Order: sequence, then C-alpha cells, then structure tokens
Amino acid sequence: MPTGLDNLKHIVVLMMENRSFDHMLGSLTAVNPNIDGITADLSNPDTKGNPVAPQPKAQYQSQLQPDPDHHFPAVDLQIFGGSTDPNRQANMQGFVKSYFNQQQDVGHSQNIMYYFTQKQLPVLTILATEFAVFNRWFASIPGPTVCNRAFAHYGTSFGRVDMNPFEILEPFKSVYERLINATPKHTAKLYYYDTTSSTIEVVNLLQNQPELFGTYQQFLQDCASGNLPDYSFVEPNYSDHATSSGEQIASDQHPDHNVQAGELFVASVYNAIKQNADLWASTTLLIVYDEHGGIYDHVPPPSCTPDQFTASANDTGTGMPFAFDRLGVRVPAILVSPWIPSGTVVNNVFDHASIPATVTKYFLGDFSPRSPRETSANLFLDPNQNLLSLGEMRTDCPDFST
Amino acid sequence: MTVIKVPALDLKQSAYDPNRPISSLLKTQVEHLHVAEKRLPSRYHCEIYVNAIRTEGEAANYIRAVTEAIHAAHKEAAALRVTPAHKRGIEIAAVADERSECQRKPRAVKKNGKSAKGRGRA
Repeated sequence: MPTGLDNLKHIVVLMMENRSFDHMLGSLTAVNPNIDGITADLSNPDTKGNPVAPQPKAQYQSQLQPDPDHHFPAVDLQIFGGSTDPNRQANMQGFVKSYFNQQQDVGHSQNIMYYFTQKQLPVLTILATEFAVFNRWFASIPGPTVCNRAFAHYGTSFGRVDMNPFEILEPFKSVYERLINATPKHTAKLYYYDTTSSTIEVVNLLQNQPELFGTYQQFLQDCASGNLPDYSFVEPNYSDHATSSGEQIASDQHPDHNVQAGELFVASVYNAIKQNADLWASTTLLIVYDEHGGIYDHVPPPSCTPDQFTASANDTGTGMPFAFDRLGVRVPAILVSPWIPSGTVVNNVFDHASIPATVTKYFLGDFSPRSPRETSANLFLDPNQNLLSLGEMRTDCPDFST
Repeated sequence: MTVIKVPALDLKQSAYDPNRPISSLLKTQVEHLHVAEKRLPSRYHCEIYVNAIRTEGEAANYIRAVTEAIHAAHKEAAALRVTPAHKRGIEIAAVADERSECQRKPRAVKKNGKSAKGRGRA
C-alpha cells in the first residue's frame, strides 16, 4: 500500500450545502486548464431565447432570492432544458428557464449563471489548487438535500427523491453502524455545529442513535487532543442563531446564507486538523457539497448503475419514474491530505455513494449488504488509483489565518 | 509555509438575521424533528407550534428544544437500563417509582436546569 494510505487513520467528510461546481470553482480553469470549469463557449437560453453566458458576478449573499428550485422536476428542467422526449439528452440548458419560473423576471433569472472569482473564495481556491480537485463529483440524485445526504450516510436514499422523512430499509445499514458494530470495533461520529443547528439526519440517526453525534466544539477538542474517530462527518451551521457565546452566522452556504461565512468554516475545519501534527499526517479531509442548489453547471450528469429502488412518476413529479440510473448535477469536491501532490485533478466519476463505499472499504474491507449504487461507486481512496501518492509528506501546505 | 489570510466577514453584507424567513431546508428540518418529537414521551414535548414557525430564529429555537429533548430522553433511558436487576416484587415497585418521578418532572430537563416549557419562539 502506498505511504499516504499506510499512514491514514482518519477520514473526515465536510458536507456543505447547495452550490454547483461551476459556481464555486469554475473560475479555476483560467489558472489550470485541466480543471473543467467556465469557458467562453458556455451559455443558457433565457425565456426570450437570448443566450446568457456565465459571468463572474456572484455575490456572497442577497443575490439568490428566492432560493433556486432544486426539487426533482426543476432539476429535470435544468438538466434537459425542458425536453420530455424519451430519447432526450442531458444538455444543461434549462437553468435560466427554471429560475425564471420562480419570479417571471428575465433579468433576475440570469443570476443563476453567476460564478465566484478566485479572489472571492480564497479558501476553496487554495485547497482546490494545492490538493486534489474532482472534475466529476456529482450529486447522487438530480434532486434536493435530504435524499442526496442519504446517499452519503447509507449509499442509497431507499427510493426517495424528495425532502420527506424516509425509513432505513433492511438489510442496509448506515456507514456509522457498520463501523461501530464491526470486529474489531471502529469509531465514527457525526458532528453537527451545535444543538440549535442540529443535523439533517433526524428521523433515523439522531432519533435512534443520538450517541453518534457531537458538536463542532467537540470536533475541535477531539482534533486538538488526538481523539478524532476513525470516521467523522461534519455538518455546518444551518441557521443564524444566538447562543451564550454570541451570534452564530449560518456557515452552510445554502442560498441565501453568506458564502464567506462558509469559507471561514471550511478554513476552521482544515486548521483544526492541520494544527495537530500527528492528526494532519494521518487524516484525509473531503470537502463536498450535497447538491447544486439549482445553480448552473455545464457538465451533463452521466448515467449510472440503477439502484434497486424506483421512484414512481407521482413521486418524481415529472410524469416519469426514476430508477436512480442518472446522477445529479456536478458539485465542488476537494480531497485534502499532505500526501497529495499539489495541483492534482481527478477525472473519474464520483457521487455521494462513494463516501460510504470508500470509508467502508478502507476500514472494513469487503462488506455486504450494500446498495447497487454504493457497490458500483468509485472509491476516492482506491489503492489502484492512489491520490495520496507522495513518498514523503509535504511540508509546504498552506495555513489559513482567520 | 504559505499563510493565507482569509478576509473577515463583511458585516454590511452578511448581517446576522434570525428574522430571515425560514428556508425550505430549515422547514424540512423542523418537520423531521416534529416527527421525532411526536415519538418522545409527552414530558419531553416543547409545546412550540411548528405550523406557526416563520423565521430562522423561530426554527432554531424549536430545533434546539427537540434536539436537546432527544438527547435527554435517550440519556434517561440509558440510566434506567443500567439499573441492576431486582427481584420481581421490587421491579414492580421500581416501575411505580419511575412513573411517579416522570409525573413530577415538569418538562424536559435542560443543561441549565430550565424546563423546555415556556421557551417561546424568538
């Protein structure tokens, strides 16, 4: 096994909210043409048929109101441009049309094409260029948060394409249960920001296994004391709220929350790991977004192995059933480790099912039962396509001063 | 080693706003927690009317109340679970004691000693 993987003891996943790859990282094509972002030939038609090009006009806040629609029917429109033909091809031509539907304002609908400059997002920019950025990490479903996050926890959404509570169907287990019930036993934890922000995984994990959860303050303490579990899943702050320690600004980057607050949060997670030398040498951090939030991206999601569930035409809201045989829109994803060469760009296809697939494979080896989607998902710590490939640990990794 | 300076928040743009209308994500989170709350013993219910939640701050209050109640209910159950086994007659007495203790508890006990009851919306 390569040196970086030999030393790996901890996997940390930080899952942010609702931003597309092109929106956050698209500007990086200008500094590294291998990063598949914004180019001059891209556009979307507005409702008058005029082409709207992506523009570097994204703002940290107050620009994406109302929250762009990212439920299944809207994402279907965004991906297929409104075609319902059985032989339709994904063309990513319906984003402006979809956003227009919410306010009937042609000018405002163009906001959905805006992207950030590198200068606006120093944290993501540095991490993406200093470590490994994924050109083809897609949401698991062309739909909203809850079902997409389910793939990160269970490798399936159990047939759901919406925001409704779902039940875990036998024989599948969450990645956390797999780890803590294994022999030898492993450790796993979900860290929500605080009890006022809590978790999105309520009905199954929080309700039934609250002992799996900790706060972000505990995450910071566990990093400092060297007590981080084998696997950690970190959730950002989902709301503006007051606590005894002051006003907490939402850091999840969900529109219309402040994107800069999310940058600071990502830097905080990175710093917490890096400031403990032993932990830094033995940890990899995946920063990934749950779905695109209705915001423009130019890469058509590919087809994939169908799951064993099918969402009915009634459930999808499109008049067509969905066999979970196509991924959602592309999202930002960055893998951080001092064993990764600077400037790494990954072109293999990943989705959130890759998270439990990789964590399970790394800590437990072969494991079943798992969903067809998880079983077929690529591993981001695959020894055969090793990203932690350096023979010696880097000493030139950046620090963030906040 | 490169030190990257991350700009401080521009408070003019990112004004803290707990009165922001509740997003679809927070609305979903509230709905899911309401499902969980209904399965809690009634003494852990927070008595916030979820259909009347309109702002992020109101949602946050409810989310905190139910999250803490879930933790408290599990903690209480775990404490009862580790109680040493007793003979049958004593077990019946223990159950009786437990019931009366539950009835005495006004509401979910918080870390600060306050009950969940009376925590109104922001």
